[in-house]
Parts: sequence; structure tokens; C-alpha cells
Amino acid sequence: MEQKLLKVTIDNITVEVEPGTTILMAARKIGGDVVPPAMCFYSKLQGSGGKCRTCLVKVAAGSAADPRPMPKLVASCRTAVMDGMVVENITNPAVLEARKGVVEFLLINHPLDCPVCDQAGECDLQDLSYEHGSEVTRYEFKRRTFQRIDIGPYIQLHMTRCILCYRCVYTADQVAGNREHGVMDRGDHAQIATYIQKALGNEFIGNVIDVCPVGALTDRTFRFKNRVWFTKPVDAHRDCPTCKGKVRLWMRGDDVLRVTARKDQWGEVEDWICNECRFEKKKVSDWVIEGPTRLDRHSVINAGHYVNVVKPKETFTSVMDGRQPKLLMDIHSISDVNTVDLNEIQGPATGQTFNGNQMAVGHNPTDLKAGKGANPKGTDSTNPETP
Amino acid sequence: MGRKLLLDKAHIEGIRYYDTYRKNGGYAAVEKAFKMSPADIVEEVKKSGLRGRGGAGFPTGLKWSFLAKPEGVPRYLVCNADESEPGTFKDRYLMEFIPHLLIEGLIISSYALGSHRTYIYIRGEYAWIVDILEQAIAEANQAGWLGKNILNSGFDCQIYVQRGAGAYICGEETALIESLEGKRGNPRIKPPFPAVKGLWDSPTVVNNVETLAAVVPIMNIGAEEYSKIGIGKSTGTKLISACGNLNKPGVYEIDMTISVEEFIFSDEYCGGIANGKRLKACIPGGSSVPILPANLLLKTAKGETRMMNYESLADGGFATGTMMGSGGFIVLDEDQCVVRHTFSLARFYRHESCGQCSPCREGTGWMEKILNNIENGKGKMSDIDLLWDIQRKIEGNTICPLGDAAAWPVAAAIRHFRDEFEWHVTHPDEAQIRNFGLAHYADPIKPAEAIAGI
Repeated sequence: MEQKLLKVTIDNITVEVEPGTTILMAARKIGGDVVPPAMCFYSKLQGSGGKCRTCLVKVAAGSAADPRPMPKLVASCRTAVMDGMVVENITNPAVLEARKGVVEFLLINHPLDCPVCDQAGECDLQDLSYEHGSEVTRYEFKRRTFQRIDIGPYIQLHMTRCILCYRCVYTADQVAGNREHGVMDRGDHAQIATYIQKALGNEFIGNVIDVCPVGALTDRTFRFKNRVWFTKPVDAHRDCPTCKGKVRLWMRGDDVLRVTARKDQWGEVEDWICNECRFEKKKVSDWVIEGPTRLDRHSVINAGHYVNVVKPKETFTSVMDGRQPKLLMDIHSISDVNTVDLNEIQGPATGQTFNGNQMAVGHNPTDLKAGKGANPKGTDSTNPETP
Repeated sequence: MGRKLLLDKAHIEGIRYYDTYRKNGGYAAVEKAFKMSPADIVEEVKKSGLRGRGGAGFPTGLKWSFLAKPEGVPRYLVCNADESEPGTFKDRYLMEFIPHLLIEGLIISSYALGSHRTYIYIRGEYAWIVDILEQAIAEANQAGWLGKNILNSGFDCQIYVQRGAGAYICGEETALIESLEGKRGNPRIKPPFPAVKGLWDSPTVVNNVETLAAVVPIMNIGAEEYSKIGIGKSTGTKLISACGNLNKPGVYEIDMTISVEEFIFSDEYCGGIANGKRLKACIPGGSSVPILPANLLLKTAKGETRMMNYESLADGGFATGTMMGSGGFIVLDEDQCVVRHTFSLARFYRHESCGQCSPCREGTGWMEKILNNIENGKGKMSDIDLLWDIQRKIEGNTICPLGDAAAWPVAAAIRHFRDEFEWHVTHPDEAQIRNFGLAHYADPIKPAEAIAGI
């Protein structure tokens, strides 16, 4: 028998979904701005969601049969839709206000060490706070801190950054099996931990790095190797006896710096990969390259990878009725970021690289290949002699 | 003298033991109940108008009728004896002195709901009460009130006592169920409600100790008569655990027809404020409900006398009213500092937050730190508005009511005692030496002023 589809209206857009779908998944079916952000929900992990409260929405009408509104804001990731439900997300100021509050709560104990965090550039919390947070904090106390712990040879746990989304716990339960870590203590001193300093050894445990929305669980084989936006994502595969072997390589020149699972447009892993693929196969010859990964144009990872990227069409003049708006700075006229192939240059990029002198490279004292990458001219921001 | 239904036999020596309890008319309600059908008992409880005594005041009969009854799936009754609300100690008294009343209520309720395995989840700190309950259950077993084929009705029932490990959050019904299953006591996300998917994914009813004990008098005197006691929708009797600066703190059974003033000042109940001091403020329903200053406590914003029942205490909403809650009646005299008191509560909720959802986990700690600053003379005027904003962003945005419970006391303290908070900020040194005192908090207020609230 064919199931009757349920009609649900989210921000005045109506969509038909199967019974049992949550509001968040219905919104993802619509796509675009009406999708509530999710920090803890992961559609591929059963039981996840409901904890971070960033996906709160207002249910203005419960269903066609019972059109009363729900008294509180509900977590859209865990609330199933009813036929005729009316949901307000970005159209309701109370929802945006509550979300702003949640972002503030998530950030008060977050270290904001993005400049040294490996997750920066692909961090869900970074995106969330740019989109929904405020620029300043009202928190003026000492932040909660923890020691960094190496849990096993591949994964480092930096609990200070954790937002306790429980995703890694569900991953260890449902993907890896034989879970050896969990949440200990309660309240604001709750922490992800193994009981008495165990090492996580399951052959699928590396996936916790991919599901982690922040930089709390990081890849020890990639730590401080490079910023993600300097590496070039490439889809590749190999014949793996344990997993499907479909991965994404993050390359710099011919070096594979990092291997991760492929993620879909919601930042969720498509196929879980095993530890061997993730941590051991770091040579191009191990993989069959499929081609560059398509990324969202707005992603910082996209910056500087592909030459001849089509510049976006300017709509100002048509929208403004022919009048030319007075812009303080036109980003497209001064930024040449997309015209430089970072793979061509050796060493970190500097301002010089983008100002015509494409071969100019900075000098990085921590670069192990210093001899190769060093710049005799010393075009370095730390050097006052720089032309 | 109000009528007593729960504690009427509490004074009898040896009532804790089966023989004395039975001789004084105990277990008559079970005999009566087993002659009725389970559906009739549920109907009877519905008719009695009994409301949950744990805090929310949800009608018990209605809760029972929501219980799903799918074929082949066991149903469970769980007694919530995880009484951890600061200021509430009524269940302890009931279980310590008349354990058989609870056992009797549990047998009737189990029969009504079809629960063959019934659990008492008791807080770990009540270690000695576990022994008392275990003994009472053993006695009831021996006398044939528990076990197989009770009173030849073909109904089997057994009661088990499970100790918690000292977490306030495990008093929330879904966290209690998680803890009972042996997991970390994190509240579940509702729906599904326990009535559909509770303990081990089976339909479950979780009720407070006092609620289940109240089923016994309902059976004994009949729903009709029970519903006549009290006023309106507040039927029956309620145990109030009074504490704070009172001449006679303790557990009192009231029939919800008396006024708050009578309860505090009459010799039959609390006997007035200790040491001849004056009343400053009161939290009438356990630490989670909003605090009220003396003027709003004794009279509602409309100028009526405030009564000790669900409706009258909630009169005026949160702007000028409060809640019946669990009946933890905390009285503050003129020497008490509301800021310090609020700080102490904020510290409690910070400590007891389970850490699952972000507003509660981060917000409770933040509020505690700000209140600590204000209390210790390091506060700023903007901190008061910040506190207000934080509590507003916690309230209603959390998984379980602990977020609300943490937000309400702070909100009410700022709403009614803002002067005192401001005085702490403007007079940091003086605030270390003396308290703000009674100030104007007992002055009669003009109705219009009170209704405006904040």
C-alpha cells in the first residue's frame, strides 16, 4: 500500500514528506535558508539530536486536525511532522533570538583558538557563529579547560573545544561497535573520556573525527600539517577489504596530507571509512583518483584552488534600477584569490603572491622543507625589510 | 483542624510494622480495590480529581488513562521517590513512618494499571529508608498482599526498590527511567512519552510517592467524598514540608482550604516566624518555583487572600504568582539575603545539570558565576540585566524542566527583589557586613502596580 504523504509548511513553503520525517529533514528537502542549523543531529546516527538546541523552531500549528501551536520552541531534528503542520523558522524573530542565545551558550566555554585549530575552515561551530551569533561575548569569566589527551595512536581529544554533541558516542556505538569512550561527569564539567585512559582501537573509530562538529577530535596524522583551505580535496577510491574505500584526499601538490570520508551537502559522511584507508594510505599510488571535489563556492576551502573560476554575475545594477551603488570596497576588483593556483607556489602564500608576483613565497621557519621553500628575497611579513 | 487522610495514623506507635498497620485498618483499601475492575479504579481516581503531588500537578487519573495498552507488552508502574528538590522532604516522612501506606497504594495502582513489576526509585541519600521499605515489602509478601495470585484475583505483582546514586536530575521521569535501566541519567527527548515508550520501551507510569499513597484514602472513603475535600480543582489533602525561619518547621497535611497566612502564623501549623522576626519572602513549592515577597505571598495582586492550593498560588501567573510545586515551603525572614539565597540555588542547579543540552549546561554555570560576583561585591549594574537575559534564553529551550527550574528562581528574584540586587551592586562593602533587610517587601501594594509586574 502506498503511504500517504504529509503536507508540512516551513516558512511558507509547503513540502510533502513521508510519515515519520522530522521537521529538520523536511526542511532539508526544501533546502536553502529555511534549513535549521544542526550541531548535534546526524541523520545517519540513530538517536542523535535534540541536545544542542540550535535547530529550535516554532510550530505555529500542530497539525490539520489539531491546529493549536506548540507552547515551547521544539527541536526540529527530533520532532516528527504531522499533516498540515505549520513551522516557522527564519520567519519567527523568537526563534532567531533563541538560536542566538544557544550560539552564545555554546561559545562561552569554547576556547576560540581557531587560528591554531585543525578544524578551522570546516568547523560547524565556526559557520554557526558567523551566521547566527553576535560579534561580541558577554562572558567575562575563565573558560573551562581540559588537558589534551591522545586517545590511541591516531586520534587526539581536545576536550576544551568539545560542545558535547554526543555524535562520537553514537558513532562508536552504531558504526564502530564496542564503544570504549563516553560522557563522564555532568553539567558544565561533563566530558568525553575513556574510562581510565584507554586507547580507542576499533578499526572504524576514525570516523569520530569526521562526525565531530568542532576540533575536539582531530587526526593525529594531520595535526598542524596544513590549513584545510591550502589543501585540495580530490575524490578517490581503492579496493578496501573492510570498507567501501570511497574517500576524499586532501592534497598539497602530490602529497596526500589527509584522508577523510566523503561528505554530502549537509556535512554528513556518505560512507564510513576504515582506519586503514584513513590513516595508513597516504600515497597517491594507493588510490585511484576520480577528480576534484565539487565544493560550495562560499566555502573557505574553495579559496585559491581552481584557476579560471567563473566570477559571479553582478546583479547590483539591474536590481538598483541602473544606479551604481557606492561601494566602499568591491571585493571582486581587489581580490585575485581565485586566479592563483596555490599548488604552483612553494610554501605558504603571502600578500605578494596575489599582487602579481606569483612566484614570491614567504619564509616559514617551521617548514621542514625550509631549504626548498625559503625565499632569498625575504618577502615575509615578519621581516621589516620586505619590499 | 483540617481533615487528615495520609498522616491520620502516623502518630500510632509501631505503625511502621505490618501488624500494627493492619490492626489499624491497613490494607482494607486493597481488599476493596480487588473487588473492582482495573478500569473502575482508574475511573475512581479520575473522579477524585487527584493531582500529581510531585510538582507539575497533572491530574493523575488522566495520566493513567493515557497509558498505552498494546498486547503482549508488559506495563510498568514506577514510584518516583527521588525526592531531591531543596526544601521538599514530605515523601521521606511518609516512607519513613508509614511505609505500608505507600506499599498499599502501589498494590492498588499496579492492579489498576496492570503492572506486574513495580519499581520504587529512591534517592541514594535515603539509605536507611531503603531498609524500611524492603522490610515492609517482605512483610507484605509474607501476608500475601504481594506475589502470585493476590487475594485469588489471579493478579501477580512484585515491588522492587532501586537506589539512585544521588542525582537531582533522576527525579525527572525520563531520566529516572534511564537510570532505572542502568544508564546515565539523561532525560529523554519527548515525545515519545513514557506512557507509550518508557521503561525498557514499554508503557510506563511514573508517579510521586504522595500521589500513590493518596490512592489509599480515595479507595477507603470513595472518590466522591475525596473530591469534596479542598476547593475547586485542588481536591484532597496535600503534604507540605515547611522549613526555613519558622517556629515549627515540619511536615504538615493540609486540606487546601486554608490561607497562606494561616499556614505560616497559626499555632496549628508553622506557628509564625522564629525569634519574633518579620516575614520577608517565601518559596511555597520547593526551590524551583518563583520566590514571592511577603506582600504578594499573603495577598494576590487582585487583593484577595492567597490560599494554599494549586489555583490560588498560581494566581497572577509568574508576574505576581508562583506555583504549588512539590510542597517544599521555604520561609525567609527579614535577616535573609535574597541575593545570597538565589546564588545558592543557582549553584545547586549548576551542580545538578546533566550537561546534555547546551542552554542548561552553559547557562546555569554562567548565572552562578554572575551571582557569585554580585553577592561578593564585584557585580555591575549591567549584570542584573544580563542575568535576566540568560534566564530568558534558558527557559523553555531545554530538553527537560531542569532548565526552567534553574531559570525561574533567578527570574523571580530579579522581578521582585531588584532593589536588593541593585543595592548589592551600589553598596558592595556594606553588603558584606549587613543584609538589605525587610525593606518594603511586606508593604501592601496597590493592585494596579502588582498586575503590571515586570
